[in-house]
Order: sequence, then structure tokens, then C-alpha cells
Amino acid sequence: MFAVTENPIDAAALRAGLQRPEAGALVVFEGWVRNHHRGRPVTRLDYEAFVEMAQSEGDALVAEIEEEFPGVRITCVHRTGDLVPGDVAVWIGARSAHRDDAFRAARLAIEEVKRRLPVWKKEYHPGSDPVWVNCTEDTGVTNDASAYYARQSALAEVGAQGQHRLAQASVLVVGVGGLGCPAAMYLTGAGVGRLTLVDGGKVEFSNLHRQVLFEAGDVGAPKASRAALALRARNPHIVVEAINADLTASNLRPLLVGRSVVLDCTDNFTTRLLLHDACLEAGIPLVQAAVHQWEGVINVFERGAGGCLYCVGLPRDVSALDRVGSCAGAPVFGPAVGTLGLLQATEAIKVLLGRGADDLATHHTLLVDLLSIGITRVARPARPDCPFCTRVGTTSDSGRAEVGASPASDDKPTPLWVSPDERDQLGTHRLVVLATAEDRAARDWLIDVEIVHPEDTQKLDLLVRTSDRPVVLTCPQGVRSASMARMLRAAGLANVFALEGGLPSSLGQLRSTQREAARE
Amino acid sequence: MTDTRRITVKFFALLREQAGCREVSLATTASTPAALYAELMSTHGLRVSQSILTYAVNERYVPADSPLADGDRVAFIPPVAGG
Repeated sequence: MFAVTENPIDAAALRAGLQRPEAGALVVFEGWVRNHHRGRPVTRLDYEAFVEMAQSEGDALVAEIEEEFPGVRITCVHRTGDLVPGDVAVWIGARSAHRDDAFRAARLAIEEVKRRLPVWKKEYHPGSDPVWVNCTEDTGVTNDASAYYARQSALAEVGAQGQHRLAQASVLVVGVGGLGCPAAMYLTGAGVGRLTLVDGGKVEFSNLHRQVLFEAGDVGAPKASRAALALRARNPHIVVEAINADLTASNLRPLLVGRSVVLDCTDNFTTRLLLHDACLEAGIPLVQAAVHQWEGVINVFERGAGGCLYCVGLPRDVSALDRVGSCAGAPVFGPAVGTLGLLQATEAIKVLLGRGADDLATHHTLLVDLLSIGITRVARPARPDCPFCTRVGTTSDSGRAEVGASPASDDKPTPLWVSPDERDQLGTHRLVVLATAEDRAARDWLIDVEIVHPEDTQKLDLLVRTSDRPVVLTCPQGVRSASMARMLRAAGLANVFALEGGLPSSLGQLRSTQREAARE
Repeated sequence: MTDTRRITVKFFALLREQAGCREVSLATTASTPAALYAELMSTHGLRVSQSILTYAVNERYVPADSPLADGDRVAFIPPVAGG
């Protein structure tokens, strides 16, 4: 309930109106007129409202907060007219089953009232002219965006022009988790004009160690809208929109319209491919990142610059990828997703500032290893014969040379993936398991298999380069081995494959391999 | 065909004092709220900087460059100070 009134606020009546037997908490905020402001005595305040609009804005903000916090009921009354110190100017009550939501909803309500309710106050001081609060530019309270961005726009690479480009930008962030939270925070701070968050998930307790926009009280709440609340509080100069739904093929197209750049902060291959294809087709730069435990990968895909996912050997058949599974539930080092999310924001801001391909991860993939603190650049050249690039016209830069790059093969492309059955058709080959000491301890049957530590990319690179037989990679979940195989393909090695389904599905074959090894 | 619109303008707080009235009805060629404000700065003595203003048309916040239609009710919103 929202109301604007000229009459004194009857707090007891408003409180009684919120009482319900099923409610476990009521948080009340009263805004009082005080007798001083900025060190000067204040004798009275004269409140003026644009009553019709205050009513519609007030109704809207109460409805929005009640929708964001299901089960919460809000009463908000704002006073107008002449008030003296001690008078109640605004009364907000938030009733809920539990205290957390009541506190948060009440807090949000007063912030929204102060931000958008068309109400003004004139402050009277003894011995000087009254002033309209916030209406002169020397109040010390600044709503000025230029002050907010002062330290950033002082950069030679940004300047007033760059800041303007950011303000004109429209950015889509898909996935508001470990990557999306830090990425969105820094895009918000940088001042992108319009930021849209898409995520159908709800905050879980196991998210909090790395999804830095959420607090314990957010558990169970929709991620996108809860993140949007936190971001709006960080920067009042931008528009933050939330879509509490997963990105799918059916809602994707309208969400891409007018976007300057898209950030893929998801954790599953289906959405990743969907975004990759749609962004390249639409000519929208895509900043994509993925993290596995201590390591991350980041790519900037831009039509006409660098290779696409298919150039580096990904199959077009998404169902094959689904068999590999997603990273949901996998172990993850919080600062690793944080670092990669910040790199995504970095790349996105540079795209918006118009930095050239030389400054961006467009022609190479960045592999970031937080455990050994190393960043590796792997060339990701466009393949002239890539069917996807040919279709969407992305090979315009095929003449541009990339240091250290060579096409994966001059012949027709070899599929990256092999199923356990197809593995037999490869003939004599080496099966290499990416496994840590812990993985090995957990599975004694792995002892006789060829094992490389997942972080030892140099050893793996050398192994594949010097192998006279095809090399098939696998790992406990099949995700890391696939990404490693893809990277090796991107580095120009054609005789490496990824085993579909990871280790569990190939347990039988592994055992038979061991038996063969034992017989030899 | 003329490009003139009939617009009702409401003034609040400091702007009401500067304009000396709560409301005016006028014909204007201004096509956006921002352009209308710029016009009224000279004709009605409005002195609040446009950099700190927001705009409402028919009791809803709108961008400064949104189009005006005949019969619209426009309000210039100085920085609000509720609470």
C-alpha cells in the first residue's frame, strides 16, 4: 500500500494494518525531520509532491519490491506540507514471515522512495533564505555522473569520448554466477548505459563463496533481479535490467537486438554454442569465458577477426556436447571465476572503447592458470575452410598472419570428438588421462593408464607433437580433456581427440586397456 | 501542416518559484521534453541546469529525447528529495 498525505502519519494505525498471525517479522522505518542539516540549524521543512505521479510511482515501487520479495507486504506513506523537527515525513513497514526479507525490503523501499518519488523539500534556516534540497549544484551532494567516472575517464584510452561510448552501450550478460557477478559489477562501475542480466537460476548457499553480488539472505531469490538490485545501488547513472529466465533458442533473438557486446558467463555447452552462433551471425562481439577448478579460458569472438569455435574443432552436433555434461557441481576456486569474470569485463570495455584486435583476445585464446599463476596465449586463427565461418562470412581476415599459428590441417577437418566405440576405429592410439594425484588416489584402476597432470600443458603439448599415433584425451568429467584437446587443435595439432563422456563412461574400455597392457 | 503541439506543463519546487506559476498550457514546436525545457528557460525564466533535470510525460519518467505528442502533460523534475 502506498499513499501521499497532508495529514500527520498515524504510525500505530499503519502498524496495526500490517499485523497478521502468519507474519514473523515487521521492520519499520520512520524518516524524521531533524533540526540540523550540513552543520546548519533547521527550523522547518516544506514538502511538496507531484501528487498524481507520486501515487503512481509509489504504487509501482511497492509492487516491484513485493514481487522481488515474495510473501513480503509493504506499507509506505509519505507526508507533504509544513513539517517541524520530530515530525514523521515518511513511514515504511515491511511485513514478512522471516526477518531477513523484511529488513531488506524495508531498506530497498526507502532507497527507492528517495531515488524516484517526485517529492521535494524546502529547508528553512534561521537568519537566511530557505533552500530547495538538492536543487542547487553546490550542495555537496552530487548526482553528477562526471564525478562518478572521474578516475576512469582521466585515462588517455578513455577520455570524455570513451566515457560517452560506454554510456551509449547496451550490454547483455548471460549467466549471473561466479563469472557474471564480477563482470557485471565492473561493467556497472565503468558506466555502460544499459546492462541486461539473464539468469533463470536462484541463489544457492554453495554459490556465495564466489558469486560476490549475493549475501546469505539472498538464498532462494532469483539471481538476475537480486543482482540487478545490488548493481543499481552501485551506480545510479545506468539502467540495469533483469530477466529471471534461462537463455534459450526461443528468447535469444529479441535479447540480442541492439547489443554492443555480449558476455557469456554460463556454465554449460548448450547455451555457450547458442550464444556463439547467434552472436557471430548477428555480428555482435562475444566475450566468452569458462573456468575449471584453478584454470580458466577466455575468448573474444568477433565476426571477421580470429577463429570461431568450429575453426578449432568443435562439432556442430550439440547433443554430443550434452553427453559431456556441464560443470555444475564441479569443484571451483572462487578467485579463478573472479579473475576470469574481471577479464571478461576488461575485454568487453575494450571492445566498447573501440580497441583494435591487437588489444583483444580475438585472434588467440587466453589460458589462465591461477595455481601456477601463468597466462598462456594460444593462437586461434580462422580456418579458410570452416563451414560456419563461410556461411556467416567471418573469414575476411584469413590473410592476416598470426604469430605461431598454422592451420590444423590442410585436408578436410578431422572431428575432435570420438565416442568410446569410435575409438576402436582410430586403430593404434594412445589414451591419455588428465588426472591429478587426488584423482589417481580415488581410482586405483587408473594406475597403469598413461596419465598427465591436467596443469602440465607443456608435457601434454610435447606428448601430442611427438606422438606417432593419434592421442585420445579423457579426464574424470570429460570437460577439461575436451577443452585441452580443443586448445591443442587450435595450436595446429591434428592428431589429438577428445573422448566423449569422460572417464566414467569409458571405464570398461579402460579396464580392458589395462588388461591388454598387463598381458603384453 | 504545422508541427505545433498543445502541451500542458507543470512546475514543482524551485521551478514553480522560478516560473511563478504551477502550470502553463502552451503551443510549441519543441519535439522533446529537453527541447521544451530549453525553450521555457528563456520564456519563463527557468534557471535549473538541464544536467540535473529529469522529465515526465503523462506522469511517467521518460528519456530527455522522447517524442512529444499533442495534448501531452509534461513535468520537469528537479532532483527529488523525498524521505
